[in-house]
Amino acid sequence: MSYQTTQQFYSRRRSNLSSGWNRNQNTVSFVSAVKLGPVSHTVLVALMLTVLGIVYLTQATRATAYDYEAQKIDSQIAELETKKTDLEIENARLTALESVKSGDVAKAMTKPASTDYVR
Amino acid sequence: MELSLQKGSRSRILAGLLLLAIAIFIGRLFYLQIIQHEEYVKLAAAEQIKPLTIPAQRGEIYALDGNAPVPLVQNQPIYTLFADPAVVTEPDRVLTVVREVAGGNLRPKIDELLERKNTRYQILGTKLSRKQAELIKKENLSGIGFQEVSQRVYPEGKLAAQTLGFVNDEGVGQYGVESALNDRLVGHDGLLKSVTDVSGVPLTIGDKNINEPAKNGDNIVLTIDRNIQSYVERTLASKVKSLGADTGSVIVMNPQNGDIMAMANFPTFNPEKFNSVKNSALFNNNVISRPYEPGSVMKTFAMAIGLDKGVIQPNSTYINTDSIKVEDRVIQNLWRGETGKITMQTGLNYSLNTSVVTVAQLLGDGKNVDRKARDTIYNYLYDKFHLGQITGVELAGEQPGVIIPPTEVEGNAVRYSNMTFGQGMNLTMLQVAAGFCSLINGGTYHPPTVIAGTLSDGGIFTGAEEKGSQENVISPSSAKKIHSMIRKARKAFYAGNDIPGYDIGGKTGTSQTLKPEGGYNDDETIATYLGYGGNSTPKYVIMVETSGKDKYLEGNKHALPIFTDISNWLIEYLRIDPKG
Repeated sequence: MSYQTTQQFYSRRRSNLSSGWNRNQNTVSFVSAVKLGPVSHTVLVALMLTVLGIVYLTQATRATAYDYEAQKIDSQIAELETKKTDLEIENARLTALESVKSGDVAKAMTKPASTDYVR
Repeated sequence: MELSLQKGSRSRILAGLLLLAIAIFIGRLFYLQIIQHEEYVKLAAAEQIKPLTIPAQRGEIYALDGNAPVPLVQNQPIYTLFADPAVVTEPDRVLTVVREVAGGNLRPKIDELLERKNTRYQILGTKLSRKQAELIKKENLSGIGFQEVSQRVYPEGKLAAQTLGFVNDEGVGQYGVESALNDRLVGHDGLLKSVTDVSGVPLTIGDKNINEPAKNGDNIVLTIDRNIQSYVERTLASKVKSLGADTGSVIVMNPQNGDIMAMANFPTFNPEKFNSVKNSALFNNNVISRPYEPGSVMKTFAMAIGLDKGVIQPNSTYINTDSIKVEDRVIQNLWRGETGKITMQTGLNYSLNTSVVTVAQLLGDGKNVDRKARDTIYNYLYDKFHLGQITGVELAGEQPGVIIPPTEVEGNAVRYSNMTFGQGMNLTMLQVAAGFCSLINGGTYHPPTVIAGTLSDGGIFTGAEEKGSQENVISPSSAKKIHSMIRKARKAFYAGNDIPGYDIGGKTGTSQTLKPEGGYNDDETIATYLGYGGNSTPKYVIMVETSGKDKYLEGNKHALPIFTDISNWLIEYLRIDPKG
């Protein structure tokens, strides 16, 4: 048996363009046996919108929950700042000259008997 | 087969009615949502979005302790306790709790206030502390609430009260720094505009939220040194009484930069209890707001002018006859007996009026205080030493005083002769002390200031911008000469109690007061002492003034001891090395 080689290529597929299909195209399309009427379509769209709405509400609620958390933290910050202010005032009062003068250490101090100055 | 409703059937009518109803709904919705859109958006926003003011915190005021800022005025949150009588369910329990926790802060007859069920807001107590508020909150009393407000507190008590001023019940600064720098201290309130829930909690939903943070007021650091201020106040309070005066004022300045290190008046007041002060004159800072005739301390200025114009030297001589004629008036010396040929230095030592009137005459034609002399004196006093005008110190209530210019009829030779020894002019202590600084610092006028800088909330200090100084108001050589003359004037009679080894100088002043009906009151005088201290460089200038109704007070007896006491203390406090 012998083969004859040629320089020309012939596709085995039919190259009749008028047939409606071409190379690498699916030649078969799936058509569902289940037919959806307009009511079913409407219901499905409504369902999808409902799901989207629920998703939105979930996110919004979650954000609001963070707001409450933030508010709680803000309150704590305000409370701590108030305490800090009170402590700063207390510190200032304790280190005020009048407080220092009336302290035990100051009371125990005595005046020097004599003072010499460097000339 | 095509399905269709029969014409005129009930189903067709029903369908038509439904369509009509739907059309009405759509029409109504269109009206509400499209045409009335803006209106309903506004209503919804008004209901849901609440603007909340974020109050700015008023700036605090600090003094210096050496170089470290220490608080003089702070803010403390306090609480107003209120009740909604319509909501209070347990009035007896409310009364028991609030009386136990905040008995001293309650208004009288709060039981009657709680019975006013037709009202919704009754203040039961004010100025509760945070601890008191927390204790009451823990009891979960229905119908009881708190309102937080901020009040000024003064850890150092009365210290520098007249320099600080106070904040009134409307939150506006009054007197002192609080008033002068109110705009800087008050800050800007912030705004939080947000959708809130029913309990007012701001939510992030919505696209019209605004969050502008509050800008707190500046924390001001004063040049006042709290230790110097405290010592000056204590010394003034004790000496004014022991010396027999009624009132007194002291200012301590740094002659090298114009910083006011202390400024005190006696009597004073407690800014925390400003509401209970009966005499509002106590709020005035007499150092800046009570111009007076400073008397013979002004002779130092007259001598400086003469030196700078080259008409005298410290050892220049003149013939003193204890009186000198100016036009139709005869001006006499208070101290008599140093007659004959004497030097200007002797004239200053004995505080002789004739010496400075002679200087004034020499500034003119040598015999008269003519227009040329008067123009020269005015130019120095007003334009160079900035006397008789606002200094621009950052304190409310500063008075300009008066120096009558020679262009006016009253600016005649007699007045200008009197001005050389401190009469016929009204000056504040601040003006005189600031001008005096330029005499002994080499001739530079530094505008006086009480502002050292600002302190950020994080505690970072930023220095204040320097005010423009005026150099060579008198030449350095003239400044050196007058500096020496002032030193010798003190050394002549009054340096006995000075710490040895330091450069201390000064001049006394005793000025008669003016009678309401005109003329001078010989029985009521004001005592003044103006001097400096330091080593090779003057470190401080102190001006002291004491006065009393119907009291004859002299500079050397009733002001000088206060100067000496403060001066000796300052040498130790500032750790000034003795002269090399």
